[in-house]
Amino acid sequence: MNPIMSAHSSQIDISDLTFSYSGQGARILDIRHLSIETGERVAFIGATGTGKTTLLRLIDGRLLGWAGMVEVLGRTLSPRRAAPRSWNANIGFVFQEYALIERSTVYENVRNGRLGRTHPALSLFGIFNDRDETAITEAINDVGLADLADQRVDQLSGGQRQRVAVARCLSQEPSILIADEPVSSLDPTSAEKVLDLLRACAVARGATLLISSHQPKLVAKYVDRIIGLKQGMVAFDTAADAVTAEELGSLYGWHVTQPAA
Amino acid sequence: MQTEQSTSVRRHRTSDWSGFMVSASVGALVLWAYVASDIDTGRLAESGGRIGAFLDRMFPPDWSVLPTVVESSLETFRIALLGTAVSIVLSLILGVLAARTVTPPFIHLPLKWLLAAIRAIPLILVAMLMVGAVGLGPLPGILAIAFHSTGMLAKFYAEAIEGIPSGSLAALDSAGATWVQKLRFGAWPLVAPDLVRDTLFRFELNLREALVLGLVGAGGIGFYIQTYVRTFQYDKAATLTIVIIVFVVLIELLNHVVRAALK
Ligand SMILES: Nc1ncnc2c1ncn2[C@@H]1O[C@H](COP(=O)(O)OP(=O)(O)OP(=O)(O)O)[C@@H](O)[C@H]1O
Ligand SMILES: [Mg+2]
Repeated sequence: MNPIMSAHSSQIDISDLTFSYSGQGARILDIRHLSIETGERVAFIGATGTGKTTLLRLIDGRLLGWAGMVEVLGRTLSPRRAAPRSWNANIGFVFQEYALIERSTVYENVRNGRLGRTHPALSLFGIFNDRDETAITEAINDVGLADLADQRVDQLSGGQRQRVAVARCLSQEPSILIADEPVSSLDPTSAEKVLDLLRACAVARGATLLISSHQPKLVAKYVDRIIGLKQGMVAFDTAADAVTAEELGSLYGWHVTQPAA
Repeated sequence: MQTEQSTSVRRHRTSDWSGFMVSASVGALVLWAYVASDIDTGRLAESGGRIGAFLDRMFPPDWSVLPTVVESSLETFRIALLGTAVSIVLSLILGVLAARTVTPPFIHLPLKWLLAAIRAIPLILVAMLMVGAVGLGPLPGILAIAFHSTGMLAKFYAEAIEGIPSGSLAALDSAGATWVQKLRFGAWPLVAPDLVRDTLFRFELNLREALVLGLVGAGGIGFYIQTYVRTFQYDKAATLTIVIIVFVVLIELLNHVVRAALK
């Protein structure tokens, strides 16, 4: 057997992880083991405040002060130090509140996704290379905002802003694509379009897709695996088409009156 | 129902009462100021004739001093411009350091107090100290304006920086932006219009305040204001007044146009 194969570790590997915001305060995350392979598409679901955003920020390398072992993209993360630029550029994050630069245009916001990839000094003078330009244009076209490219984002609707946030992440060409509630403010048709887009982009790039959502039924159609979080712990971890009514009920505190057929 | 009504009525009375207290105190304060100043209103009536004679001597204005007055107005303009320029540099540094979201409390709190203290010192006093330190001429004027206006400008800059939503910059962090890139593509577009607006506002104030610098020998038109009035050359003072009015109106118009262009 190939020794390298046996030493294989997953793209995302988390074990014995604990985290609380104020050091000794309430435990926000408590995960015994979680691993995700390259190219997997995973949805995190769970009641509000169960730690979905916190877990995604951890994987994005933005969280400090946790205890345990976290390995992402071949790098063992440190709970005390931020990761280097090149590593950051490989993980794209669509923020729950979009986190756009309000007074910049759609184009400029999407261009910000390239900051980790382009030349750090030349970019300050507005010089971006052809690869950057192509990625930006493609991302804007993909989310259907070509007509609004020069519009300032503070003049857009909530749904349009969400698409800008998605485009910024796509222009980054990440190996791991993280979207924190990417469809929370979209109508059902637009929501399906955005999920379709995220999935298509992940598939085309062979990227891993991590989504959090409050709509398990909807996202189940776009991911392979669903992980239920309850009070910072993994309540269940199953194939997307195998989630039971009991499992959902336990997450949200529903009373399941009829056993699932 | 009844209790609810009676509380709302009582609350009404309380506010009426406190309103009366405030008005009475302000009234008493004004009365005290008048009485304590020992103002002889009779003199105002008697002086009617003198004011007439004074106005009479102002007209027609003596236009022969126009070149001198315009040149010294331009000196005032240059003092305000250079003073503001130095103040911008100081304020950018102090403003970043005084921003709650950038530095820890042991840095930004004392800095904010320092800026408040600077704002509390009148320009004329700063100018006198500067003249003592570096001698007569425009240089002490420039230094005085730079020092004096930094108290306000740095505070405005700090507030603009504090207004940046942290999430917006975190998103650039996540994409792998460097510290400088975050400033250039995150912070700058968010604060630039505010900074420009604040700076123009302060420049306009600096221009007006710089008019008096010449009174203490710190350069500009203030010197002639003092000379002409002290030596009773009211026709020359009239020319000077007209030039100053035109000057201030022009600056205000310019400021208005620039501000409208920003949004
Ligand atoms: N910056 C913070 N400081 C302190 N506590 C925080 C902070 N951010 C989040 N929390 C707390 O951590 C817990 C988990 O928050 P998190 O945002 O991860 O939840 P979530 O599952 O994403 O919720 P939602 O579905 O509402 O987005 C919550 O109880 C929240 O109050
Ligand atoms: Mg969340």
